[in-house]
Amino acid sequence: MTEKQRSLIDERIDLSTSTCPNREDRANGINVFYGSATELVGKARQGCLKNRDRKFQQTSGCALNFYLSVRVGTIRDAAVIYHAPLGCSAASLGYRELYRGVPVELGRPANYDLHWMTTNLSERDVVYGATAKLGEAIAEAERRYAPKAIFILTSCTSGSIGEDIEGLVNEVQPATKARIVPIHCEGVRSRLVQTGYDAFWHGVLKYLVKKPEKKQEDLVNVASMLSYTWQDRLEIKRILGRLGLRANFIPEFATVEQLEQLAEAAVTAPICPTYTDYLSRGLHQEFGVPFFLYPSPMGIANTDAWLREIAKHTGKEDEVERVIEEEHAVWMPKLKAIREDLARIKPDGSKVTVLGSLGQGRLLSQLPFFDELGLESVAAMCQDFDNLILEDLERLVEKVGDFPVPINTFQAAEQAHITRQLDPDLALTCPFQGGAFKRRKGLTRIHALRADPHPWSAQSGYAGTAAFGSFLIQSLKSHSFQQTLEEKTADSYRPWWYEQPNPLHYLAEERP
Amino acid sequence: MTETETYTGAVGASEILEAPRYSCAFAGAYAAAVATYGAVPILHSGAGCGIAQLFGQFYAGGQNAGGPTGGTSTPCSSLVEDHAIFGGEQKLRDLIASSIELMAGDLYVVVTGCVPSLIGDDVEAVAKEFRDRAPIVTVNTAGFKGTSYDGYEAYLLAVIDQLLEDRPTKRGRINVLGVVPYQHLFWKGELATIRETFAKVGVEANVVFTDFDGLERLKELPEAELTVVLSEWNGHRAAARLEERFGVPYVTFPSVPVGPKQTALLLREVATRLGLDEGRVEAVIKAEERSAYRFVEYLGDAYLLVRPHPYFSVIADSGAAIGLLRYLTDEMGYLPDLVQITDNPPEDRREAITGALVSHLATSVRPEVRFETDAWRIRQNQRGRTSLFLLASSLEKPIALEEFGTLPITVAFPSYDRMILDRSYAGFRGGLALMEEIISTYAGPL
Repeated sequence: MTEKQRSLIDERIDLSTSTCPNREDRANGINVFYGSATELVGKARQGCLKNRDRKFQQTSGCALNFYLSVRVGTIRDAAVIYHAPLGCSAASLGYRELYRGVPVELGRPANYDLHWMTTNLSERDVVYGATAKLGEAIAEAERRYAPKAIFILTSCTSGSIGEDIEGLVNEVQPATKARIVPIHCEGVRSRLVQTGYDAFWHGVLKYLVKKPEKKQEDLVNVASMLSYTWQDRLEIKRILGRLGLRANFIPEFATVEQLEQLAEAAVTAPICPTYTDYLSRGLHQEFGVPFFLYPSPMGIANTDAWLREIAKHTGKEDEVERVIEEEHAVWMPKLKAIREDLARIKPDGSKVTVLGSLGQGRLLSQLPFFDELGLESVAAMCQDFDNLILEDLERLVEKVGDFPVPINTFQAAEQAHITRQLDPDLALTCPFQGGAFKRRKGLTRIHALRADPHPWSAQSGYAGTAAFGSFLIQSLKSHSFQQTLEEKTADSYRPWWYEQPNPLHYLAEERP
Repeated sequence: MTETETYTGAVGASEILEAPRYSCAFAGAYAAAVATYGAVPILHSGAGCGIAQLFGQFYAGGQNAGGPTGGTSTPCSSLVEDHAIFGGEQKLRDLIASSIELMAGDLYVVVTGCVPSLIGDDVEAVAKEFRDRAPIVTVNTAGFKGTSYDGYEAYLLAVIDQLLEDRPTKRGRINVLGVVPYQHLFWKGELATIRETFAKVGVEANVVFTDFDGLERLKELPEAELTVVLSEWNGHRAAARLEERFGVPYVTFPSVPVGPKQTALLLREVATRLGLDEGRVEAVIKAEERSAYRFVEYLGDAYLLVRPHPYFSVIADSGAAIGLLRYLTDEMGYLPDLVQITDNPPEDRREAITGALVSHLATSVRPEVRFETDAWRIRQNQRGRTSLFLLASSLEKPIALEEFGTLPITVAFPSYDRMILDRSYAGFRGGLALMEEIISTYAGPL
């Protein structure tokens, strides 16, 4: 960590407060930008990156409803209470099914049961308050599920009516066996969905993580989020296993105990740096657990570097070189074959161009990975950006050169415009792009989701490199789906939208 | 133009619940707007409200993407605290203007979430500024004001009050209400089936949703001779308002009709109300029955040799439960065990729903009917039953076999395990689709 960066982000994690600062305040986070990476890092350095309103905006996610509402409920021996109106928890209706598709043979426990409830805030509650109702819900959760932890997820409504969540928690905790963990994820608090990650980790660090009784020298914390699949876990488990290390995968589908023992680990390693950031810093600050944020294990070179970082903290420097060498012997020929296949796709022999729709964490790892596969990135479309990745992005630009960085959180009209303007051979869509997938050229997804157990879905580690390469080649073998829909269905936007050059056409003037 | 009345939630909907099988009023109005083809919903809410309903209403309603105007395509004012301080009205004004400019719509529907209600935005006043530019309806549906079902009703009431004008009655025209988009999983296929079935007897049914000129369908609502409500409680307030404002009477049928017997009943009832030629109606019924039952003959062996006269249970909204239970009981010889009604109907409609489930069944078996919205209690209630089949939601899928010893078929919200595009259990041949799915859960070499 350099002096320079220290002034760019608020590094101190203050667990005496009820929640984290917003990403906007902690690291000058923004989610509106269209320009080059050089311009982006330049402005970020000068402190003049500004988040501005849009006059046209589309629904995109909030601190609660993008990530937390579909993920916190997968913690296996916990219960979640939404202190919210009904709609805030609707996204959680898949809770019983989410991991059931993973065969027990692949390591999914046979017996587990997930739980959530809503306090179902009504008009009456808005007028009279509903803290007592939340208290009842905690008692009811305890009676029904005997959970080890109860996560309370707050909402715009509970926040607006001024519910004293911490007051209630202090009052009822002594009589409650489960550890109660309030998470402040009121949607209106922040423009950035990543604030929700920090809010969650704040609660975990403050209420759940225990003082280490012993150090587990072979334990590596790996915070894995929904865009990393079961196969990614298996691959990470495999390669860490080769070094005699164990992965502590949190928070999704973990046990409460796995969260409690985070401070006993030898190191916290990222697979998405800005997802893990708050937790990593918190564990370091409070318990001295070392961490690193770059790189993620995606692509062969990144995976090598990731393993070496871990090895430094676990005394495996010698073993790691042997493991890397052996892995290369297996996987490098496969990478070579993929590069050759991809090089043959275009008749003129030029590189296949690709547009990835990425989180800012993926931005850092995926661009070198595309390069390794022999693909050319026309841009890196990014959900949001903050100073947490500034230095790493600067290094990346040095390494791969400049590239455009359109930044928006699932703004489907902007994404459709950008995709058409840049016209890559292959657009890697995240599902939340509206009709941007209707096009003439290549299309597939950027990543699989959550509990996908098929080897085909992997992206992490060495096996994931090969799997993802093959996956991309496969997508280039047919364009019929996106072409047919482009031909036969209407576009969501009027033609003028594509005829004018600016995807940020609706950017509002700066507030004085 | 009357201001749409503030909507209050259903009775008893304010308790603590595990995984209730519906979303909020905002979600219901949003879903109805998405289901009105040609309409562009405009969400005046936090940024996550729409995506939450993409996951929790559209995906949950049969794994459906948002289409050209739903999900992340939907304009949203994406309010944060800054806006809450100054009020969200300017943000909404900019959004309506840009939405009209960018997205071609016949109708723009402003759906209001919790935050603008809490900060007191005057949504109607802002919308008014644009009424000379495009048809706009505003629906006041803070999430805390009710369920998806309330939102459906609020949407229709807003349309009736703010948009509709009297039109001359058209002979042979009916409205069909009560089938709630996404909550009723098979809304697309079944509304089309209902329309086609009525067409066979010369009745033009306006089913509103899924027709491409949605705005015109809405405007035609006052033209009908009769509104047919296919639910014991959904669509009733809207139908009553149509009667009150435009003199269109309404008649209630307990559910979407499944199979020949229910469908014939519905046709006869409507024919009587409209004074249709009885001979023509009976000829259609006879021809349709003949063809449907010819197919039923083909399932005879797999039915009789393997699982004849099975007990079955139902965990579903009242609309799905009634139609499916009556078909299986009255036509297939199945025996109903436990029925758990999950859509939280108002107290004063529960007797009618129970009646529709237990009266005049073609068996001496009487199902036990419970009204339950809490997923934990639903699960307790189902334990220890001996049903061979469970018609329920995808919530039951992972636990049905190991906990209840029953084969699950997803027929009710939520349905994350079934992609439902055009599937229909409605009409004369709808029962065939249902039987294909039920028998396919156990079919093997005979």
